[in-house]
Amino acid sequence: MSSTENAMENRVSASPRGKAVPRVKLGKLFGSEGNWSHYIQPALAFIVLFGTWELVVRIFNVNPLTLPAPSGVLKVLFSDFGFYLEHAGVTLKEAVIGFSVGTFVALIGGVLMSHSRFLERTLLPIAVLASVTPIVAIAPLLIIWFGFGALPKIIIAAIITFFPMLVNSITGFRSIDQNNYEYLRSLHANKLEIFLKLRLPNSLPYLFSASKTCISLSVIGAVVAEWSGSDKGLGNLIQMFSNYMQMEKMFAAILMLAVMGIVLTTLVRFIEQRALYWHSSTNKRNG
Amino acid sequence: MTYITVNRISKKFKRRDQITEALRDVGIEIEQGTFVSLIGPSGCGKSTLLRIIGGLETADDGDIRVGGVTPIEAQSDKQFGFVPQAPALFPWRTVIENMRLPFEVNRKGGRQTPEQSEEAKELLRSVGLGEFLDAYPKELSGGMQQRVGIVRAFASGAPILLMDEPFSALDEITREMIRYQLVEIWEKHKKTVVFVTHSIREAVFLSDKIVVMSNRPGRISEIVDVDLPRPRSHELEETSEYQRYVHHIKGLLRERWEQ
Ligand SMILES: Nc1ncnc2c1ncn2[C@@H]1O[C@H](COP(=O)(O)OP(=O)(O)OP(=O)(O)O)[C@@H](O)[C@H]1O
Ligand SMILES: [Mg+2]
Repeated sequence: MSSTENAMENRVSASPRGKAVPRVKLGKLFGSEGNWSHYIQPALAFIVLFGTWELVVRIFNVNPLTLPAPSGVLKVLFSDFGFYLEHAGVTLKEAVIGFSVGTFVALIGGVLMSHSRFLERTLLPIAVLASVTPIVAIAPLLIIWFGFGALPKIIIAAIITFFPMLVNSITGFRSIDQNNYEYLRSLHANKLEIFLKLRLPNSLPYLFSASKTCISLSVIGAVVAEWSGSDKGLGNLIQMFSNYMQMEKMFAAILMLAVMGIVLTTLVRFIEQRALYWHSSTNKRNG
Repeated sequence: MTYITVNRISKKFKRRDQITEALRDVGIEIEQGTFVSLIGPSGCGKSTLLRIIGGLETADDGDIRVGGVTPIEAQSDKQFGFVPQAPALFPWRTVIENMRLPFEVNRKGGRQTPEQSEEAKELLRSVGLGEFLDAYPKELSGGMQQRVGIVRAFASGAPILLMDEPFSALDEITREMIRYQLVEIWEKHKKTVVFVTHSIREAVFLSDKIVVMSNRPGRISEIVDVDLPRPRSHELEETSEYQRYVHHIKGLLRERWEQ
């Protein structure tokens, strides 16, 4: 990690000097210009979607118990925004902590398994077993064991994050460039140095690509666990409102979840672009 | 003074049931501060010999001394600057950070060469990369990347440079240019270089000594001392002496081929 951070610092400090490489600057320029058009199109798409929805509900006079109008949902949401925000905070915390724990454990597992084929053959089947078991089935069990608090939700989110992160970290640690590896060997670098200077930075593209899926999976995990038993969180709200057929409130909670998902994946993308400036995937991002 | 002694080494590779005899009874002596090329047909064991000298591979038989110690000891003493076929640049590091890499690993091992970042910059400037210190490898052309790999070896403080066809991925014109730059840098620094190549003209142009190898099993067929004046420049290639060496080596290789 240190080498990458180093590199990042240097890059930041290097640009104001102005003499750097013209191509780098051009890339940055296009990057920031491109971002605007990146936002306009999706925004338009959302406006059209919700506009149509609103119109359909109004023109056909749809029963609000079937489908509430977006305007109604927003009104409910903002009339009691603090309430929804509080519950969103609960779910967000469960998901993010679960994601972090899952990632951390996966990295440790990845180090061990990429280090030894023996460990891989022993531990990977267990990891596969955990990953193919539907979490919906484990959730009630964990609620019985750990109660209604945050812990079982965190565990579910962690389990769901764990496997993709594990597989990608193993690939990332292993798929190093042979020339670079031999170069370090020729300097008599030890295993730790080879890990820190080569394997870890090499795994970053893999880890980020897995993170983009896992961060939203962890939200799903937290919500599913909340359904199995909870007194807080957006999943809890959705279940409760659905029982009472309070459609507008239920949609408000769903909307919060969707926004949370978008914010989290965007955040991961943002960090990815900062961290992987050197990677060919961040060369140009158009379309 | 003889710095690297290779004494009757042999190497076999076993893969499944197949055994490849890569080297048989190979012996050479390399003087300190000389430029030695290994040339020979593909598969004759040039890379294997280079890797054994650098401690990346071990010989089955025979003995190797690098400055009086084994290759592994020399390696832990950071005596080798390795330049592989493809430039071993780390994509997440800028050019100057890649130059720094050899100083960041194996710190306690061997000679404590202080990092000479001024020298590194000077070397980069001398090969026309002064403007690219903060560029990332993906922003450089293949030829520029390979030049970074070569000057990194010179700036690393290692007394021995091991180069395995460092120009093979480059186009003819770039290749020639870098060859002139290499000879210039080398004549200034006078490090001990073992250089693997397929190009006869390149070998003659650069070397003090050319080790001609033959195939299956890989062995040394002749060692040619190149008595051409230094400093060398492209004009050398027009001289008849240079041409004579080229023909001589070509003849040796063809002889082996026809056997
Ligand atoms: N790791 C290995 N496992 C099995 N066989 C190997 C290995 N490395 C080299 N060999 C074999 O040893 C022989 C010599 O290989 P080497 O790479 O040293 O040749 P070379 O002279 O460098 O060839 P080229 O000019 O094509 O690079 C070849 O027949 C090759 O197949
Ligand atoms: Mg080779």
